[in-house]
Parts: sequence; C-alpha cells; structure tokens
Amino acid sequence: MFKRLRSLFRVLTRRRDFEDGMTEELRFHIEQYADDLVQSGMSPEKAARQARMEFGSLESAKGDCREERGLHLFDEFRRELSYAVRLLRKTPGFTATALLTLAVCLGANLTIFAVIDSVLLRPLPFPDSNRLMTIFNTYPKAGVERDGSSLTNYYERRGHIPAFTSLAIYSYGTEIIGEPGSTEREQTMRVSPDFFTTLGLGPVIGRTFTEEETTSQTDHVAILSDAFWRQRYNADPNVIGKQIRVNSVPRTVIGVLPPAFRFLSSDARVFLPLASRPEDRTPLRRHSGGNVIQMIARLKPDATLQQAQSQLDAQNAALEVDDPQAKMIADAGFRSLVVSLQADHVAAIRPTLLLLQAGAIALLLIGAVNLVNLLLVRASGRVKELAVRQALGASRGYVVSEVVVETTLLTLAGGLLGLAVGYGGIHLLRVLGADRLPLGSRIAFDMRLALVSLVTAVIMGIVFAAPVAWFNLRRHLGNALQSESRGGTSGRAPQFLRHSFVVSQIALAFMLLAGAGLLGLSLQRVMAVSPGFQSDHILTGQILLPWADYSDVARLAFIEKLLDNVSHLPGVLSAGVVNNVPFSGHNGKSAANVAGHVLRPGESARGHYSYGVAGDYFRAMGFSLRAGRFLTVDDSRRSERVCVVDEDFARYYWPNASAIGQRLWDGSEAGKDAEAFTVVGVVGGVKQAGLTEDEAQGAIYYPYAFRIDASFFVGARTSLPPESLGLGLQKVVRQIDPDIPVNDLRSMETRIADSLVARRSPALLAGLFSCIALLLTAVGTYGVLSYAVARRRREIGLRMALGAQPGQIRSQFFYLSLRLLAGGTALGFIGAWLTGQAMQAVLFHVPALNLAILAGAMCVMGLVSLAACLLPSHRAARISPMDALAEE
Amino acid sequence: MGKTAELLPGTLDMLILKAVSLKPLHGYGVLLRIRQISKDALEIPQGSLYPALYRLEHDDLIAAEWGQSENNRRAKYYRLTAAGRRRLRDETAGWNRLASAIAAALNTTSEEV
Repeated sequence: MFKRLRSLFRVLTRRRDFEDGMTEELRFHIEQYADDLVQSGMSPEKAARQARMEFGSLESAKGDCREERGLHLFDEFRRELSYAVRLLRKTPGFTATALLTLAVCLGANLTIFAVIDSVLLRPLPFPDSNRLMTIFNTYPKAGVERDGSSLTNYYERRGHIPAFTSLAIYSYGTEIIGEPGSTEREQTMRVSPDFFTTLGLGPVIGRTFTEEETTSQTDHVAILSDAFWRQRYNADPNVIGKQIRVNSVPRTVIGVLPPAFRFLSSDARVFLPLASRPEDRTPLRRHSGGNVIQMIARLKPDATLQQAQSQLDAQNAALEVDDPQAKMIADAGFRSLVVSLQADHVAAIRPTLLLLQAGAIALLLIGAVNLVNLLLVRASGRVKELAVRQALGASRGYVVSEVVVETTLLTLAGGLLGLAVGYGGIHLLRVLGADRLPLGSRIAFDMRLALVSLVTAVIMGIVFAAPVAWFNLRRHLGNALQSESRGGTSGRAPQFLRHSFVVSQIALAFMLLAGAGLLGLSLQRVMAVSPGFQSDHILTGQILLPWADYSDVARLAFIEKLLDNVSHLPGVLSAGVVNNVPFSGHNGKSAANVAGHVLRPGESARGHYSYGVAGDYFRAMGFSLRAGRFLTVDDSRRSERVCVVDEDFARYYWPNASAIGQRLWDGSEAGKDAEAFTVVGVVGGVKQAGLTEDEAQGAIYYPYAFRIDASFFVGARTSLPPESLGLGLQKVVRQIDPDIPVNDLRSMETRIADSLVARRSPALLAGLFSCIALLLTAVGTYGVLSYAVARRRREIGLRMALGAQPGQIRSQFFYLSLRLLAGGTALGFIGAWLTGQAMQAVLFHVPALNLAILAGAMCVMGLVSLAACLLPSHRAARISPMDALAEE
Repeated sequence: MGKTAELLPGTLDMLILKAVSLKPLHGYGVLLRIRQISKDALEIPQGSLYPALYRLEHDDLIAAEWGQSENNRRAKYYRLTAAGRRRLRDETAGWNRLASAIAAALNTTSEEV
C-alpha cells in the first residue's frame, strides 16, 4: 500500500514527465514494430499503417496505463474542479453572494468560537488542571455569597481533607517594587508554600517558599515571573540570592517561574509568601476571610468533587460545635463550597458566551439555508443540460461527485475568506474588551481554530451537495428533455423545500432579532439605573503606601497633605479619600453590631459595605444627604467615634426611628461603650459593586483613622473634564513622595461604563448578528421570489394575454411572501420565547417575552421581507405577454 | 493465427515477469521475448501490454529505467525487482501445481475411476 502511494505521489508530482515518457515509449514500440515489418519486406508506408492498426487505439492504451497508476481519479477530479470553477465564474453574482455569506457566517462563528475555546474549553496551563478546585465560604442568609477563605480555614484544612492531595491559599495585590527613585507598581500574588505544588508547576530556577517563610519576620523572599526576570534582570541565570526591594523592604530572590506560568487571569510578576501571625490563625478568625484570601486544592486522582465536598462539610460541622461564633454562622447559612477552579473562574461569562455562540450558529444556519436555496435555484436552471449528459451516459456517481466538488470548492473558498473575517473579528473583540474577560488574554487566532473552520467548511460543502444532488437525480430524464423551457412543470417537492427554507430562515432571523432586542433592552435598563451619586466630573485613582515606610500617623498626615494640595489644583471643587470607591471591583462587606438590635429568629447578622473616609469624600462623590450631616475634614482630624450610614442601612435597623444618635460597633460583636460609633448622618444608597446590584446591603462610613488599609482611593470633583486632572494629581502625589505612583486613574463615569462591558459588547455583537441575519433573509426571500417569477413567466404571460391585470399578478406574489412571512414569524415567536427563557441568566429585569420587542422584531422582519418581495413582484407585473409567449 | 492460443486471465503478468527476468527489456522487447519463449504459441494483444507493465511497475514488481536500444534510440527498459523475483517464483510454482493437477484430471481414463 505504502509503495503504491509513493509511486502515485511520484507520478503526481512529475505528471508531465510521466505523460511524455508514456508517449515516447508507445511511439518507440510502434516504430520499432514498423521497422521490423519493413525488414520483413513491407513498404515503409504500409508498415507504419500496419503497426498502428495492430497496436489499436493509442489513447485507450494510455488511458488504461493511467488507470493502472490510479491517475484517472485525479484526472476526473481535476476535470470536475475546472468545470466547477468555470461554472462559478460564469455566474459572478451568485458566486460573490455565496462567498460573502459564507465568509461572514463562518467568520462570526470562528470569532465567537475563539473566545469559547480559550475561555471555556482549553484547560488551564497546569498538569491535570481538571483536578484543580477552588473552595470558598458562603453566608447566603447574611447577604454574603462569597467570602473566600480565612487563614484559619487553611491551617485547619490542609492535610485533613483526604480527597485533596494538597491545598493552598493565595491573595492578589499590588506592591511598589524597585530601588528608591526607580520604583514601579507591579501586580503581585501572595501565596502559601504549597501553592506551586498544588498547581503542579513551580520555579524552574531556584526553589519555592518554605513553611519557615510564612511569618511576617521571616518572609523576606520573592519568586519572579519569567517576564519580570527577563525585563528587570536581563534573564540573569545567577539571579538567585539577589536583593529586590518590595514596598521598600529588601527581599531575596529565591526562584524564577517558567514562561508558561500564568495563574488564571492574573498578571502577577512577583510572588511573595502569604505571611501571617499565629493570632491570625485562631478559631476566632475562622470567619474573617473578607474575600481577600482564596483557596485552591488538587483532587486526588481517584477522588471526586462530591467526596471532597462531603469531607469538607463534615469537618465544618465538627469545628462548628465549639466555634465561638457558632450561632451567628449557622444563622448566616454558612457553607464551604468546592468548585472546579476553571469553571468557577469563568462562571459569570459562560452563559453570555454560549448565547453568542448560539447566535452565531443561527446566523450560520440562515446563511446555509440561503446558499442551499440559491444552489437549488441554480440547479433547476441546468436541468436540461444535466438530463442531456445523463442521457449520454454520465453516471449517477458522476453527477453526485460533480455537485460535491462544486459546493465544496465554494464552501472551502468561503471558509478561507472566513478565516480572514474571523481574524478581523478577534481583533474587533479586543476593541470591545474581550481581553478583560476571565482568561480573555488567551484569545488568539491559531492553527487549531483555522483547521476547525476549514473542516467545518468542507463538511458544509458535502451537506450542501446532498439536496442539490437529490434534485439533480430525482427528475425523470424523459420529462426534462421533453419540456421545452426551464419553466416546464417541476415537481412540488423542490418548491416546498425552497419555501420551507425561507420560512425557517425568517424564523431564525426573528429569533436573533428578538434576542438582540432583549439584550439591548436589558442594557438600557441597566444604564437607566442611577448609581446613587452624581457620577460626572469625578476623577479617582488608587494610591498604595507601603507599611514599612508609613506608620498610621504618617499615613494620615500623607492623606491630609494630599487632600490639601489636590483641592488647590485648578478646577477642583472638593476632594476626599476612601478605602474603595464604588465600581472599583474591590468592594467587600463586613459585619457591624448595632446597639439595641436583637436578631429575630432566623435572621442572620448581615454583611455591610464598610469604608473609612477622609476629607470631603461625600461632597466630592456627589452623595445625597438624607439626614444629619456628612463626615468632613474636621472628623478626619478629631478622633471622635462618629459614622455615617446609608439609607438602606438606616431603614433596615431603625425602620420607625431616626438613625441619628444611634450607636454601633465595627465587627460582629458588641464592644465596650467607649468603642461604639455614633451615627451623625444618613446618606443616599449607592450601587457599590455594579449597577445591577439588586439587594441593598447597606453601607457604613467611618472616619479613615479607624479603617486604615495599605491602599486607598482619592476622588476629586472638578469643574473641568475629569481626565484633565490626571497629570496634576500624579504630580501632587510625587511632590509628597516621589516613589509613590497613582494607579487605576479613571473618571467615575469611565468606571461605570467599564462595568457594563460584559453587557454592552454582547448586545453589540448580537445586534450585529441580527443585522447580518436580516440581510441574509432579505437575499434569501428575494432569491426565491425572483425564481418563482422567472419560472412562471410563461404562465403569467398567458394569464395577462387572457386579461389578468398587473395588480392581480403583483398581489399573487405579494401574498406568497406574506404567507412565508407569516409562517416564519409564527415559528420565530416560539423560538423567541425559548430564546428569552434561555437568556434569563444574562438579562436584567427583562422578561422572556417582551411584547414591545416582539412587535418591533415583527415590524422589522415584515419590512425586510416586503422590501425583498417588491422587486420580483413588480417585475412579474411588468411581464409583457408577447415577449413571454414568444420566448423559446 | 490458428496456431496461437488465447491467454488465460492473469497469465500475462506472469509471462512479463518471466520475460524481463532473463534480461532487462523494453516494452516491444517483452512482446518479442514472450513470442520467442512460447515458440510463437502465445500472441499478446499489443494494447494490453503497456497497462500490464505500468501495473507491475506500480506494484514495484518491475522497475523501469531509460536506456539505449540496439539501434541507438531512447527506450524504457524494465527489469525484475527482488519482490518481482519472489512473485515470479511463487506464481511459477502455483502454475505448475495447477497445470499438472488439471492435466492429471483431464487425462483420467474411465478405468481409473
């Protein structure tokens, strides 16, 4: 077999040599024979004739020789290919429409599939990554769906859950790295020693962290990412042991990670030990995760997720027996959940992506139906030609293979163009913010995707060929030959097929349109939600002050000086500081104990957004005052224990009384009297984590001195465009401390807009898809109607000759398109309802069936269908009886 | 042509292998050689000789090479390959078995039954 393939390959690559050799060899034979005949006394002319006659047909001998080499198949294929190319070139309009349709439909699918592939399908870059799990605490009844894990959880769980081979914790952060004068802010991760072993991928140079390096005194070590090592250390192989300054504290480099190391979507370039003090690991701190520390674990090869979950549940139950906060956490519905790491990471975006892929597939179906219809119309124009060829001996196999070659050539060319469209589409997605999706930076155009789309194109070609081949073979030869015109009676079956194709096309386009409408309406409803403050003209930025350089006093002094300088910048009306501004993506909740509030049976202690504020934060952010007063610069200077709550908080705890003068403690336990905070004001509720946040959790604002963090946000209200303040703000900060950069500088309006990317981009794409779908449907309807008109030209001519009015003819085709439209919309209605149901997860306050959307979709659909039928029916009405009857 | 016999199906390949096993030959030479070694008893249809040669070459039983003919013309010469030699041996043995079996069967007289 192999030898034959090699021989075939040799001949194919040197086809001309083969042919020349064969001709020469046969000629040699005949001439040699003629020579022999001459020698036996024959005249040269007679000998030559005799030799040729005895040899028989040269061409048939050659054909036999080619067949012996398996070449005839290739020759036939080549003939069919050049025939197909000729046919396609003869109908440039059809070919261009088909190629464009295929390119757009395949390109759209390729684009969305590229995202699905990199986000949902491709495994994480770790060995056996499907065994990697994440574990997080949830307190659903306290309004805290996700709270990460605590240090205590980690120390209690590791080695005690038999279903896990190892278990580790990590937290994300940013630190200032480098020598004074050349510092840079870098993304970092703090990880426990077993983090890299759990992932199964660790340093390639040096070593990982040890257990001894997890206390705050002994954690002066760091592991570098490959990129950081190359950029900052010029890929120095002797980097181990060198010093690196992190937040102005020197650390020793102990390891370098491989280039492929990337944990989820993190851009961390420096890894530090997750150090803690013994008191952070006690049972008292078990439920103080605060969603800062996250846990991962690796399942044993023979263990299941369910086993791990039940072992974890059992441990939690055992620990809860003597937990000091047992009642509180039981009330809160506490559980720890084990979820696959990758699935958890992409859970939020998964429904949207699947929806978009469904939309793209619907688009492909519409395009495919269009093409099959066009191909059928074309085939019926060639009925006679095919009948003649079949009568002359073309086999059924030949008829089929000819169609397959033609459609596959078409779809393959369309697929190649689709690659270009997909390549552009992936770039478009980048513009729309796809690389900010979880794992979105992995989205790329690669060989695998190209191969998948070309294989799809070939499969489509073969599928397309089926109805056309059926059409070509089903007609009786005699019939086709006898009927004089191509308008001879053709069966009802092909017509029914064409019409049902148009109906399904309309239905699919209707579904897409309705789906896009729902997404758009949902987006509009989200955008109509007020964030709860005046979000215009505010610039915000994050500043991190290293603990080593800044004591609490120095920190407060820095903030006071910063606010003073910022408020003197031109255009600045007011400025303030807060731990986390709304829409910053870092909005965690913590508990508060309200004096006099007794938990009702079944009621759980609630998590509230809790912030420290300094300066004129409320005025700068445009909060509204409901009662009492704002916290002001004076509160930042005094150490009086006062606080401001928002109206949701006030309504929850004091529904019938004034909140002013009430007292509460920071934390879940009631403390000493002297540690209570007095409420001095009530402000309007603010959407903290996003516009779609439905449940008002309540918020408490303390003076900043009582809630100091390593980093804080500064917010400034200005009368100028907020972006113009950026340079000024950075300059002010650098004047106070040249090593402190300002991070994440964005106006509040940009933050809100950015938070909508996951809704806006899908809505845009869905809109784009439905526009293309409409266009394709219009082309499809137009094609089928024009064909119907052309096919019945003689009949129409005859009827008009007998007195039919043009109006009657016109309305006949008008009704046909109306029937198709009605059928399509009826199906589409059902489809749209199902689509709406499937979309509930990604919709915001929009029901599955929205009448306005459906009516709108119907209007658009109707307009497009009618527009598509206008030209053909107009043409039908203008048929001249004389011409039509005289033809053919 | 009364003295020539019809070729049995499948025997042409065998004859070609035999012909080129004696000495590399061009196509016309194969024709002459078969005629010669069969003592003019076998006549090969000229049109079917070349497809057979091409098939055998395709199966790697014979190999072709361009060379000079006796009267100094370019001609394609075929020779037996190792695989062809094996095939010829097998087929010859097979043919002899078959031929003697058939001959024995045909020569059976009524007494021997």
